[in-house]
Amino acid sequence: MPEIEIALRVNGRAAQWRVQPGETLLEALHAHHLKGTKLICGTGDCCGCGVILDGRSINSCCTLAAQADGAELLTIEGLSQDGSLHPIQEAFAEEGAAQCGYCTPGFIMRAYAFLQEHPHPTEADVRAALGGNICRCTGYVKPVAAVLRAAEMMSS
Amino acid sequence: MLNITAYHCPTTISEAVALLAEEGCAVIAGGTDLLVNPRYMVGVREVVDIRKLGLDYIRHEENWLCIGAGATMRTVARHPEAQGLAHGVLAQGAALCASPNIRNTATLAGNVASALPSADTPPALLVLDAQVVLTGIQGERIVPLEQFFTGPGKSAREHELIRELRIPLDTTRKMGGGFYKIYRTAEDISIVNAAASLLVREGIITMAHLVLGAVAPIPLRARKAEEALLGQSPTEENLRQAAEIARDETRPISDQRASADYRRRTSAVAALRALRQAAGLAKIEEVWQHG
Repeated sequence: MPEIEIALRVNGRAAQWRVQPGETLLEALHAHHLKGTKLICGTGDCCGCGVILDGRSINSCCTLAAQADGAELLTIEGLSQDGSLHPIQEAFAEEGAAQCGYCTPGFIMRAYAFLQEHPHPTEADVRAALGGNICRCTGYVKPVAAVLRAAEMMSS
Repeated sequence: MLNITAYHCPTTISEAVALLAEEGCAVIAGGTDLLVNPRYMVGVREVVDIRKLGLDYIRHEENWLCIGAGATMRTVARHPEAQGLAHGVLAQGAALCASPNIRNTATLAGNVASALPSADTPPALLVLDAQVVLTGIQGERIVPLEQFFTGPGKSAREHELIRELRIPLDTTRKMGGGFYKIYRTAEDISIVNAAASLLVREGIITMAHLVLGAVAPIPLRARKAEEALLGQSPTEENLRQAAEIARDETRPISDQRASADYRRRTSAVAALRALRQAAGLAKIEEVWQHG
């Protein structure tokens, strides 16, 4: 199988990856030891594998790795700076919003993309923005509170 | 990992259509259907990414609104033209389709190409009399969207690329429209959906389109209901009667989302709510705010 060489930026660093034509972006992340992004449904339904590709939150399970050629990719590993958590991560920890933790990277990356566009959201905005993120602990109250708290932290 | 042997990313339409002429070559844009639904991968060995073809436009050409194959659901939902046309029926359909992550990458043309009876945007496009511009090695042809769908997952497209979808503005500009989706959670596929458009002159309906989704093998144009509306005034009673006629035109199936009986009954509800919006009897929810 002919491999494809792609050049992209991953969490601020230039990277050259060799990928298979049929490899998903999620599989490529895992192959390159970036395992914070989780495989959950694998069918684009739960947004648990969310990453930021060129500024937009997307599901890495239904994007080909080859399609990330030339892109700027941000994953959950790229949020903390110099050892300190990103305000969204901090807010999730403080609100106890991680719960079992498996869907959390997807929630946080979605929240990151959303807060870039809507720095001062209402609760209804946050609920709509997280509408596609599924948590099988079924605990949505704390993630919503965490995103609202993060918005406050980021604007102060 | 998908079992494919090549990924192509052409930069010209002629390169793309030459690749698509071969057996076993599939179009990929957002990939949100192709990569997760085995139905679309049957016989596929290579994929052709169409996102570098410069087709992510929404623009006017004479009296047409042209939406390129690369335009995402997000782009469509947020576009002022789509929001302004027939009460924003198309922007509503695009904004209510799946989740924000999917809408960021899934395309309107892809939703049409997948040809699923439960899709959210085909009913809206059908009530706007949309046409499909198909490009292949033989050249370009235009198919009215109404003739495009031939069965679940099946369409008139053959080794071709949907280059763009286009909507005639001369008639649709004066129409009222509406979209209503019945579903369980925010990212769900429709249990039933309905789109309507009405042209009302001096209190009389002179043009009526009503399309129901997920109630037949293809998005269903409720022709008897449309006929019943012509020449009537757009009153609650008349709309309700039309919605009931539309319900009797449906041929739903039972699946994991709903029973055929539930679909049949709720199709009248969805139809009535879409018609009310089209007639100006219901508030238009600006769902595209979150698109």
